[in-house]
Amino acid sequence: MKLSFPMRIVRFGVQDFFRNFWLSAATVSVLTLTVISINALVLMNVLGKIAVTVVESKIDASVHFRQDVDESRVKTVRVALLSLPEVKEVEYVPPEEALQRFRNANGEGSELVESLEEIEGNPFGATLVIRAHDTSGYAAVMHTLNQPLFAGLIEEKDFSDYDAMVSRLNAITGKLEVFLLAVTCAFGAIALMIVMNAVRVSVYTHREEISIMRLVGASNWFIRGPFYVEAFIWTLLSVGMTVLILFPSLAFAQPFLQRFFGSGSVDLVSFYAVNLLPLVGLQAAGVAFMTLVTTKLATARYLRV
Amino acid sequence: MIRLKNVSKTYPGNIVGLQNVNLHIRPGEFVSVVGQSGTGKTTLVKLLISEERPTSGQIVIGGWDISSVRSSEVPLLRRQIGVVFQDFKLLPKKTVYENVAFALEVAGVRSSRIRAIVPQALKIVGLTDKADRFPRQVSGGEQQRVVIARSLVHRPKIIVADEPTGNLDSINTWEIIDLLRRINGFGTTVMLVTHNREVVNSLQRRVITIDRGLVVSDVEEGKYVL
Repeated sequence: MKLSFPMRIVRFGVQDFFRNFWLSAATVSVLTLTVISINALVLMNVLGKIAVTVVESKIDASVHFRQDVDESRVKTVRVALLSLPEVKEVEYVPPEEALQRFRNANGEGSELVESLEEIEGNPFGATLVIRAHDTSGYAAVMHTLNQPLFAGLIEEKDFSDYDAMVSRLNAITGKLEVFLLAVTCAFGAIALMIVMNAVRVSVYTHREEISIMRLVGASNWFIRGPFYVEAFIWTLLSVGMTVLILFPSLAFAQPFLQRFFGSGSVDLVSFYAVNLLPLVGLQAAGVAFMTLVTTKLATARYLRV
Repeated sequence: MIRLKNVSKTYPGNIVGLQNVNLHIRPGEFVSVVGQSGTGKTTLVKLLISEERPTSGQIVIGGWDISSVRSSEVPLLRRQIGVVFQDFKLLPKKTVYENVAFALEVAGVRSSRIRAIVPQALKIVGLTDKADRFPRQVSGGEQQRVVIARSLVHRPKIIVADEPTGNLDSINTWEIIDLLRRINGFGTTVMLVTHNREVVNSLQRRVITIDRGLVVSDVEEGKYVL
């Protein structure tokens, strides 16, 4: 087979793309929407994981000891807690620092701080601030602290319901992912129909040319080939358009996300820049597979070669 | 060259196209196929270019049994049979040259070969000076000559012309018939399907008459007798 043969198929495909420009534009638009929704799904996944990590990193539990419990006994509890595999770190806060932190947290001159002045002296005992490796580890911490050996030393335990918070967060991101998956499937289905119809219209537009091609002995591949080329152009354009839309959008959203999650925790532009090739490659392969299979079905149905 | 053995073609609804047709057309013959509308002439053409498959019987062209030819082999068959239709089937957005070249392009012929063959074909049909014109810029007769040039580029051993003069005035009709005669003179088998009594009678060649799907007469140096 001569080199000019595939080149002619490509040329005919490119010609077909431009001859049906508006149909091509509509097809590329819907495919672009599909690819964007796939990317939204990927981003949602990344953001969900970041959100959970951020929340988990902020979770801690505070154990306030009675005023009469001396430092050595508090430190014994600290050692006991540190021996638990679930515990990441335990910070010892002496009573003076606990008072200072209270002042800092409520602001000098506030009613709460002023009421402390009236009490005279430091009402706080020592505090242990505990961080577990993950939220499920706090159950083991609770169990240890509830042992009779330690329970009598403790004034108050501050265990927020972080497990529920993380579960809620996971549920929200999970639901969002399901929603985006449904949107992606809907766009995918619409894209399939549009591609099918685009090939059908293209076959109709070129019916005269196709009948002459058949008459003069064009091979089936030569007749089908330009439709595959056209589908490939749709794929390249839709993935290219997605990249062109995605990067400015991410750069625009980045400051808002960083403000929300804390600076340094989110860098989606870098995430995309680093993973550009595998992400774009996978998506292009997926869209190409979808358009080419649809084109095969459409040409088999409408072209009859 | 062409042999039909007990060929029948029945369309859905039990509509008979051809019934038990037996024919043998020798290499280099000029055969006219005549008959009234709807008698099966075009069915015969469609069977020869494998646009239709026979319901029964065998069709052999140049030793190749095309009765059950695979769809991937049909293009090869069509490159060996030049086909000329009444309605020209030219691409309006391509020039005369491009229309002729198109048949070679889609067959994967190298560009250098195309540049060599197309002018030769245009010379045979006398359209060298109109190569750059579009079909709408040439007469009906010239359009039909473009079609003949296109059918010649694969150097076919057979040319099947289905009512090639149906849309032409008498001057153009005779030009086309003369051209077909010249092509036949090069050794190409020509099958002319026509209604034109005057043309058939003047040719004084073999005439096959079809009526209601049956070959009712097959006469060397025959006349139009319907």
